[in-house]
Amino acid sequence: MKGVLQIALGVIAAIGGFVDIGDLVFNSQAGASVGTPALWAVPVGVGGIMVFAEMSGRIVAVTKKPNFVLVKERYGTRLSTFTLVASLVLTGLTLAAELGGLGFILNYFFDVSVGFFVLVALIAIAAAIYVLPFGGIERVFGYMGLALLVFIASSINLDPDWGEVGRGFVPEAHGAAVYWYFIVGLIAAALMPYEIYFYSSGAVEEGWDPSDMTVNRANAFIGFGLGGLISVGILVTAAQLFKPAGISPTSIGSVALLAQQPYAELGLILALIGILFAVGGATIDTAFSAAYNLAQHQGWKWGKRFRLLDEPRFTLSLAGFLLLGFAIAQTGVDPVELTEYAVIFSIPVLPLTYLPILLVGNDRNVMGQYVNGPIARVFGWFYFGLICLLAIAAPILFLWTNGGS
Amino acid sequence: MRRWLAVVFAVLGVAASVSGCGGPMTPDELSRSIQTLESTAAEGAMLAGDVADDRTKATFARVHARDMSDVVVHEAEKLNDAEADRANVAAAKTKAVDLADKIDAALGQIQVAPDDEPGARKAATQLDQLSKQAGDLSAGL
Repeated sequence: MKGVLQIALGVIAAIGGFVDIGDLVFNSQAGASVGTPALWAVPVGVGGIMVFAEMSGRIVAVTKKPNFVLVKERYGTRLSTFTLVASLVLTGLTLAAELGGLGFILNYFFDVSVGFFVLVALIAIAAAIYVLPFGGIERVFGYMGLALLVFIASSINLDPDWGEVGRGFVPEAHGAAVYWYFIVGLIAAALMPYEIYFYSSGAVEEGWDPSDMTVNRANAFIGFGLGGLISVGILVTAAQLFKPAGISPTSIGSVALLAQQPYAELGLILALIGILFAVGGATIDTAFSAAYNLAQHQGWKWGKRFRLLDEPRFTLSLAGFLLLGFAIAQTGVDPVELTEYAVIFSIPVLPLTYLPILLVGNDRNVMGQYVNGPIARVFGWFYFGLICLLAIAAPILFLWTNGGS
Repeated sequence: MRRWLAVVFAVLGVAASVSGCGGPMTPDELSRSIQTLESTAAEGAMLAGDVADDRTKATFARVHARDMSDVVVHEAEKLNDAEADRANVAAAKTKAVDLADKIDAALGQIQVAPDDEPGARKAATQLDQLSKQAGDLSAGL
């Protein structure tokens, strides 16, 4: 019974950590611009995060080593420092976008000013980090993030052409650069590097060992799978409502409108609450990921499982990244644009993030009986090849399509 | 070092030419700008329709209308500042600025009175028409 509860909670936490501002923005924009033919990119991206999350959780259960420790061990000083700097810049940008997004969402409820609510969000996030235990943070944001299920209900309520939806899951040859821009963006939004840093470090925080392999698999496959379903719901709803009207969503409010159309005010409130907690959860994930990476690279003591005052360097870096994100968000930069940049420019960093996981997962000397089986090996190399391809294509498509416009 | 600098400048040059930085406004750039107006007016019409049917929350309608209004004003400023050396582009640019003004005014109705249902219905109709006009203008380029 305890195991089932642990799995259920982990699944909920995975939803809260997966659907972030990048997923919300890219899925609604892809649905509005390309429509259901872009759907196949969602399972491709979600499949990638499932494969690598399961692998990194298994590695932690066996070796107790999170992702950035593997980066340091496998790459040596120069490349690991480069990976650290790149990951910190991108995670910092994502953190700023999430915090800015929180400001916008809270302002939709109370209409004071975005800047004021970015400050409120910073204080609330800092308080949640300080007061709640690690598992508590995941659960609060995960449970409340379940309100995002309203997007799945909306997509069903609008009764799309289900044959067309089904055909959307089959990749098709397409000549338009905008189509490929959104395909690349959707895959990348599912594979944001911070998600894997947080997942592996979170496994260390929760003290996983080989007895937690089932929990790891359930979190990776069911949790991220359910997150992927929410992404599909957003994309299909945007394809139904925005594409025929020629609407290109430019803000988080546009995403919330998707649930307001079929369910009026109740849909709007559920969407805003779901987005608020999903983005709030992602804010915490990104802040922790940045601090985890820095601490793991520098060999500092780290983790929420210790008292924050007992590990001043980790605590200061966590606070520092939150303040940096706050400062960037307070410049008034558009969080949606910032997210697009963070998603697209995170792609060149993806191979550096995922390669060490694959190498260690394939290493029988390290993993023993838990080494990657043939399926994990094949999928691992397939996704690594895909990530390398995306790393080359993403910046070119971004410039070519003027950011998908 | 010199070779690295040459590579960096070459990449920046290609990026600038692909993204269309500098020089007079091209029909493509103008079309993208007008499409933003078309999209914002259509979204405004959707929101105004929900206000008219009492299907939304007043603070959300007000804030979201204001956000969309900011997008339109920003686009109008960009259009106003852009140079157009071709007659058809210059004429379309002037029409686009005029459309932006009208879209902004209709969105202002929702922003000022998000609980005025008859006013919102009128704004929804106006925004719908303005979106279509923007679509026609963009298609004509």
